[in-house]
Amino acid sequence: MRRALVAAVLAVGAVVSVLPFYWMVVAATHDGGELFASPPPFLPGAELMANLARLEESVHFGRVLATSVWTALVYTALSSLVSAMCGYGLAKYRFRGRGVLLGAVLATMMIPFQVLLVPLFQMMASVGWVDTYQSIVIPFLANSFGIFLMRQAFLGFPDALLESGRLDGAGDLRIFYRIVLPCVRPQLGALVIFTFMSQWNAFIWPLLMLNSEERYTVPVALNHLIGLSHVDYAGLMLGAFLATLPLMLVFLLFQRQFVSGLLGGAVKS
Amino acid sequence: MKTTHVIAALTAGLTLSACATGGAPAKEAPKLAQPSAAAKLSGKIEIWSWDVAAKALQRLAPEFEKEHPGVEVDVRDIGYDNAYDKITVGLKSGSGLPDVITLEDTAIAGYAENFPGGLVDLTPVAAKYKADFDPAKWAAASNAKGLYALPWDSAPVGLFYRRDYFQQAGVDPESVATWDDLVKAGEKIKQATGKRLFVSDLTNPAAFTTLLQQLGQGYVKNGEVAVASPAAVRALTLLKTLKDKDLLQNEKGWDGRVSATKQGKAATQPTAAWWTGTLTGEMPELSGKFGVIPLPAFDPGGARTSANGGSALSITAQTRNQDLAWAFMEWLLAGKDRQVSMMRTESLFPAYLPALADPYFDEPQPYFGGQKVNRLFADQVRHIPPVELSGDDKQAEELLKKAVPGVLLNGADPRTALDEAARQLAAATERKVAS
Repeated sequence: MRRALVAAVLAVGAVVSVLPFYWMVVAATHDGGELFASPPPFLPGAELMANLARLEESVHFGRVLATSVWTALVYTALSSLVSAMCGYGLAKYRFRGRGVLLGAVLATMMIPFQVLLVPLFQMMASVGWVDTYQSIVIPFLANSFGIFLMRQAFLGFPDALLESGRLDGAGDLRIFYRIVLPCVRPQLGALVIFTFMSQWNAFIWPLLMLNSEERYTVPVALNHLIGLSHVDYAGLMLGAFLATLPLMLVFLLFQRQFVSGLLGGAVKS
Repeated sequence: MKTTHVIAALTAGLTLSACATGGAPAKEAPKLAQPSAAAKLSGKIEIWSWDVAAKALQRLAPEFEKEHPGVEVDVRDIGYDNAYDKITVGLKSGSGLPDVITLEDTAIAGYAENFPGGLVDLTPVAAKYKADFDPAKWAAASNAKGLYALPWDSAPVGLFYRRDYFQQAGVDPESVATWDDLVKAGEKIKQATGKRLFVSDLTNPAAFTTLLQQLGQGYVKNGEVAVASPAAVRALTLLKTLKDKDLLQNEKGWDGRVSATKQGKAATQPTAAWWTGTLTGEMPELSGKFGVIPLPAFDPGGARTSANGGSALSITAQTRNQDLAWAFMEWLLAGKDRQVSMMRTESLFPAYLPALADPYFDEPQPYFGGQKVNRLFADQVRHIPPVELSGDDKQAEELLKKAVPGVLLNGADPRTALDEAARQLAAATERKVAS
C-alpha cells in the first residue's frame, strides 16, 4: 500500500519534470503556427529539418554552437585550474593573511552580479575588450565557489604525503599535479560540471559584451529569435533542445565524480 | 506592446537602480553641430537595431555607401528582447555604445531624462523637418530641452474586424463610429456568434494606455501626474463597461492574443498597423476574413486613432562621427524614397508624412479582401494625438499593472483605483497630481 503510494507520487513527479522536456521535443519538430492550434500537438511532427534549416539561416546555429562549445571548454579548463590551485594554496600553505584572504573570497560570493555589471563593463571597455571572446572568459576565471569547493577538498589531504613528496625532491608544482590533484578527482569532476554549466548558460554578460553576430554564444543567439511582433517558437525550442545535448554529454562523462564529489567531506571517518 | 518588451524594460530599470557606481556623463546633452556644406563625409559608423528594422538597415546601408565612397555603415542586429539591457549599461558606463541606436518611442523620454548628456540633441539639424513628421512621434522624441531621436516608423491604431462575424450578426462595420456604437455592435455579435468583442490581457495596462492616447493624454500632463485625470477615468471606465458586459476575451500576453486570434475567438482587435504582419505571417489561412475600420471615437468627430509602438534612431554622445551619423539618418528617414522602400519591403510604416502620398498605399490588399488598408492607416498617421512622455512612465506603468486589473478583474471603481495610483506615483516621483 505504502509502496504504491510512493510510486504514484514519484510517477507524478517524473511526469511533471519530463513533460516540459517532451514538449520541447514536440515543439521543435512542428511548424511554429501549429503550436498555437487547439488542441496543441502531442506527438513529434515532421518539421525538424525545416526548423533546423531556418535556425541555421536566421542565427547560423552551427557556428554559434561551435563558439559556445569552445568558449565553455576554454573557460572550464582555465577556471578549474585556477580554482584548484587557489584552493590548494588556501588549504595547504601557511602564510600571513590566509584567513582574511579566504574570508574575502567567500565575501565575493555575496555580491550580486548586477552590482558588478557596470564597473566591469567599464573595465572591459577601457582595455578595448568589448566584443571579444576574452571578455566573456577572463573576468570570471577566479570563481569563489570553485575556490571554496577545492579548498574543502584539499583540507583533508594528509600533510605527511606532501612532506614525503618534498623529501623525494619533487617541486611544488610536481606535487600538485602528480600527488594532490589525482586524489581530488571527484571534487574536480563536480567543479568541471559546475563551471561548464555556468559558462554554457551564461546570458546577460555575453549579451552585454558581444555585438557581432559571428561571436554570439547559444543563449545570446536564441534571444534573437524573439522579435517585436513575431516569435519563432519552433526554432527557439529546437535551439534550446540542441543546447541541452552538450550539457548532457558533460554530465554523463563526469556523473560518477559529480555525485561523490558533492557528498565528499559530508562524512569523515 | 507585449510582455517581452515589459520584461526588457523592467530589467533595464532594475539594472539602472542596482548600479550604484558608474561613469558620470556630462549633464547637458551635446548639441549636434550644423555640418558645413562643403565637408566631405568619411569614416565609419556603427548602428544597433533589431528585427525587421535591422534588416532594412542592412539592405539600405550599401546604397548609402555607394553614394558616398569611402564611408562605412556597419549595422549590428543586437536582438530586440534584451536590447535595452545593452543600451542602459552602455549609457550608464559611458562606453561601449555605437554611434547610432534604435529606440522605441516609449523608451526615448526615459533615456533622455535619466541619462542627460547620453544622447545627442538633434534640434540644430533636424528642427526644419518638424512639419514633415508624425506629430505624435515628434513629441515622443523630444522634451522641453531638445530632440533626442529622429522618428522612423509609425504605429497608427485601427480596428481590425472579422467580416464573417459582423455579417452573421447583421452589423455594418462602417456604421461603427463611436465606442458606444461598438459596445452595442459587440453585444449583437456576441448574441449571434458567441464570440467576444476583442482579445485583451486584463493584467496588462496596454489597452488602457492606447485608449488614453486616443484621448490625447499620457501618464503625465505638464509635468504633473495625470493617471487619474478625467480622460484616464473615461478610458478605464470604457474597458470596465466592456468587461462587465462580458465582451473582453482575457488572454495572457502576446502569445495568448496571437493564438486566440488564430482560433477566431474574437470579432475585432483594436491595434496598430503592424498587426497586419502578424496576421499574414502567423495565420495565412484566415485570408479574406479580416477588414479594418478606423478606431471608434470617444465622441462623434473625435480622434479615430491612437499609437501602439513605433521606433526612432538616436545618436549617442559616444559617437566619434556625428556628421556621418546624422547624414545617414537624414538620408534614411527624412525622405520619401527610403521610407517608401522600407514600407514595401519591411512593412515599416513611414512616420515621414510626404512618403504616405506614395501610390503604394493605394494598392488593394488581397489578405483583407482587397481593402486598401494601408491607405486607411496612412490617412490616420497625421491625426495620432501627441502625448507627453516622461522618464517616470515606467513607474506609472508598474502602478497601473495593479490598478487596471484591480478594476477589470476585481471590480474596483475606476476613479478610486486611479486616484490611488496617482497618489503613489506622485509620492514616488515628487511630482504633483494634476488637478
